[in-house]
Amino acid sequence: MSDTPAVSVNHLTKVFKGSLGKGAFRAVHDVSLTVKPGEVYGLIGPNGSGKSTTMKVILGLLNATEGDTRIFGIPSTEVASRRSVGFLPENPYFYKHLNGRETLHFYGKLCGMTGDHLKSRAEEMLALTGLEDAATRRVGGFSKGMLQRLGLAQALIHEPQLLVLDEPTAGVDPSGSRIIRDLIIEFRSRGITVLVTSHLLEQMQEVCDRVGIMAHGRMVREGRLDELIAVENQTEMVLENASPDLLAKINALVKAEGGGTRLLRSGHPRTTLERLFLEATNEPKKP
Amino acid sequence: MSEATQSSAAVNVAPVRFSPRRVWTLAYATMTQLMRMKILPFLLLFCVLVAAMGFGFSTINPEQQLSQFKTMSLGVLQVFSIVFGIVATALLLPKDLDDRTLYTILSKPVPRFDYLLGKLLGVLMLIASGLVIIDAVLSLILWLQQSMLFDAAVSQLHSEKQDTPEAVAQMREIVARQGLTWNLHWAVWAIFLKAAVVTTVALLLSCIASSTLFTIVIAFCITIIGHGHAMIREFVLQPNLSSASVRIASFLLAAICPDLAQFDVVDSVANGEVIPWTAVYEMTGIAALYMTVYLFVTHLVFVEKEL
Repeated sequence: MSDTPAVSVNHLTKVFKGSLGKGAFRAVHDVSLTVKPGEVYGLIGPNGSGKSTTMKVILGLLNATEGDTRIFGIPSTEVASRRSVGFLPENPYFYKHLNGRETLHFYGKLCGMTGDHLKSRAEEMLALTGLEDAATRRVGGFSKGMLQRLGLAQALIHEPQLLVLDEPTAGVDPSGSRIIRDLIIEFRSRGITVLVTSHLLEQMQEVCDRVGIMAHGRMVREGRLDELIAVENQTEMVLENASPDLLAKINALVKAEGGGTRLLRSGHPRTTLERLFLEATNEPKKP
Repeated sequence: MSEATQSSAAVNVAPVRFSPRRVWTLAYATMTQLMRMKILPFLLLFCVLVAAMGFGFSTINPEQQLSQFKTMSLGVLQVFSIVFGIVATALLLPKDLDDRTLYTILSKPVPRFDYLLGKLLGVLMLIASGLVIIDAVLSLILWLQQSMLFDAAVSQLHSEKQDTPEAVAQMREIVARQGLTWNLHWAVWAIFLKAAVVTTVALLLSCIASSTLFTIVIAFCITIIGHGHAMIREFVLQPNLSSASVRIASFLLAAICPDLAQFDVVDSVANGEVIPWTAVYEMTGIAALYMTVYLFVTHLVFVEKEL
């Protein structure tokens, strides 16, 4: 696999100009991040933290005020960078008069796909996202979960190496949400890089290799998920068949004990991504 | 940030070029999207109205009757095509943005110019399709009316014992001049060209404005001003205009608004005048020039637009 990062964001700052007496608004402030090929990277943060703006700059939908963003080494400002990207926006809608299959054909044609290749790829995507039965149904009658899955299918139609998902489970019921989570895991197993934002931290914890936490337009934490959620100043002991008395004396006796009681594992207990998120985003705002 | 630094090295990739096939895909999707907006019932209603008008003037002479029919039907057709062009174009971009369809399209390797051109062509294709259908209906009604009026006029001459070969030939010539000729099709073509120019202006406005209502109102204002372009030019060029600011403002208005009077051939057609080929070429060239300039400016605006 190439060393070129799938996504590189280098000191990105985005300022929206004010209009009619309103001052300028700095949505993203000096954010840098790197997504390696093949990994699932979660970008999390509260509403208004700059996640979606960062994603839009990566996709070339917005221009950076300062800094630059690249996709597989190609500046996001170039249309060619979008050859290797599939994007699912938050709560997507599609042309209601098209059915599921026609929608995929439409997006495939935009990517230059034609003929049998397009047809077979569309069928493959319908099967992957479980929409085979809805292939001939008008998109106007799709449920929210089906729209999200169709969004994933259109994002994947041209076999991109990078998938950018903005709140892929927003408004989707728990079972639909789980299907999308499983699909992300499936994408990773196929070697597709995924950059995802979500408010469902438990799910992010299940699928992400690395996360970046944004607050007030800044990157406040970034790294491997297992490292970020490790609590350095605590030690975890996992006991099997331990009695309540034993628990009280455990620190002193555990090495001396023998028989059926065993020290199975020791190390750093983990907090949850949710707790880490709340701690990180409640830190005082930097000037 | 070593990886980021590494990635900043230039990467040579083939640029995404203009693709007629991609533009066609977008245009076709736009056309079908608009057709779903219940436009066909309006088209049908228009055809019924035209048919009713065609047989509605029975008390006047054949020449006036055919002339009035053409004036009214082509006038209504002109309003219909301009209103449709402005409203449809003003709705399209904001709708794609609201539905985030624009994001899914532009996050694919689709140059923004291809998207714009596809949207414009989609609207124009639907206007053209509607005009072709209405042109066919108009032609049929005009032909029927022409035949009926000629027969009625000959019967009247006969009853008045004035049906000399010269009188019948003269009547035939009058009815034929006001009846179905190529001029009718050129008038419909001129209506299409005018609607195409106005639609391109509306596309430019919808890229600049954030409100659909603003786009529609300003596009209608420009359309009205465009019909009085000659008056503005005369005003700007008059030597005794004292205020420089008024002259500059008028000049800017004349420069921004298209001269839509260039496409006004409905009255000539209604009067039975022949439209020469050179006039058709000239109108087509002027429309192409206006559309190219407006589309170029639209592209400059849209390529920098923050979505």
